[in-house]
Amino acid sequence: MFKYQFRWDTVWGSFDFLMSGLQMTLIVSAITLVLAMVGGLIIALLDMSRFRALRWIGVSIGEVVRNTPILVQLLWVYYVLPIVFGIRIEALVALIIGLALYQAAFISEVYRSGIQSVPKGHVEAAQVLGLSPLQSFRRIVLPQAIKMTLPPLASNFVQLIKFSSLGAVISVSEITRRGMELSATNFRPLETFTFIAVVYFLICWPLAMGIRFWERRLQNR
Amino acid sequence: MSTTPIILADGVTKRFGTNQVLTRVSLPVMERDVVCVVGPSGSGKTTLLRCFALLELPSEGRILMEGTPISTAQPDREIKAAARAVRSEIGMVFQHFNLWPHMSVLENLIEAPLRVKKMPKDQAIAMAEKLLAKVDLSDKRDAYPARLSGGQQQRVAIARALAMSPKVLLFDEATSALDPELRREVLIVMRQLALEGMTMLVVTHEMGFARHVGTRTVFMDRGEIVEEAPGAAFFDAPKTERAKRFLQQFEDD
Repeated sequence: MFKYQFRWDTVWGSFDFLMSGLQMTLIVSAITLVLAMVGGLIIALLDMSRFRALRWIGVSIGEVVRNTPILVQLLWVYYVLPIVFGIRIEALVALIIGLALYQAAFISEVYRSGIQSVPKGHVEAAQVLGLSPLQSFRRIVLPQAIKMTLPPLASNFVQLIKFSSLGAVISVSEITRRGMELSATNFRPLETFTFIAVVYFLICWPLAMGIRFWERRLQNR
Repeated sequence: MSTTPIILADGVTKRFGTNQVLTRVSLPVMERDVVCVVGPSGSGKTTLLRCFALLELPSEGRILMEGTPISTAQPDREIKAAARAVRSEIGMVFQHFNLWPHMSVLENLIEAPLRVKKMPKDQAIAMAEKLLAKVDLSDKRDAYPARLSGGQQQRVAIARALAMSPKVLLFDEATSALDPELRREVLIVMRQLALEGMTMLVVTHEMGFARHVGTRTVFMDRGEIVEEAPGAAFFDAPKTERAKRFLQQFEDD
């Protein structure tokens, strides 16, 4: 093992190839985050609905998604949806749908706890002053809740960057897939996957640290 | 002066589950009255106030504003409409201030006038500045609540309630969350309001305020009004045993 002759040049030689994969990774993560934020809002609204049937749907989606593996969900979206709807789904679209659904289930909880973090007294003060429930939500609850949800949403983005590597399984050419392709031709998995791990780390770690700092500042307000 | 109470609790009973907190409480508050509600904790004072503020529905009985029902156990469409119409005429000051932390002092004051009364912004700001001067906080106009002391926050909260020109102002233990040295500045503002003729219903542990500023004192215990007397009379000559025992605790004050 330690007699191993590193051949990092095999990685540098394909730097652009791998970086195009990284670009795909970041694009997929960003699009998925936006979709998951919208999806999470829909699930949260279903959860908090006045109608029992809607609440039931919201809760069910959340429970199913949170209690099955994301890889299985991805495979399910990629292979099963086309059978059900009789259409071919691009691997990229399947990845985005699958990840967005998974992340939406978690983001809905983020929204919910953000809304619940606003003290009841703030809403009562609005009520007593005559603000309508909608006005109170828009002017009093939402601005405070959003501030609380931003750091967790950023954490979700970090998670998505990591989870998007699962796209490799359904051959989406993000950076992990590119690494698999490269190591199949250069026979240098050690250098290739080490490089890829470092790339993920260099992106995710500063983000995570920044978020931690941001959260601490919010708490000390 | 009109003989119809500004606001009236008419046989209000309130239960939370099987726990009965209020039992057939009737309490009129007349114009310019400063009614102080005193009693041991858990006696239902705050729940009564929250019924007046339309934050709780009574389990039985009604709340009337100038003779019009605005709250019952199962309010129909008419009562709900009446409640919406008078909602902002009932001001409330909370124990924990409940200022909105993401808004400056000025923004806290003008929010309801702008959104509920549709007051023009310059007019709302002019009025807010006048109210801030009244509670002696003109220099805090652009500060955020977190920067203020508890006493300052509570004075802002009073100004915010006044910004809607309420016909009656409800105080829910407005000084209980404050350090003793900060209470005074809030009590001074409250006394000033009383002198100006504001109709007030004050749930309080401040016996000095009840005695010297209140026009009537209401003693509650275990969800009932036990005794009711004008101003100082309650303190000088309590009639019931329960009231006497309650007042003994304050003799050292």
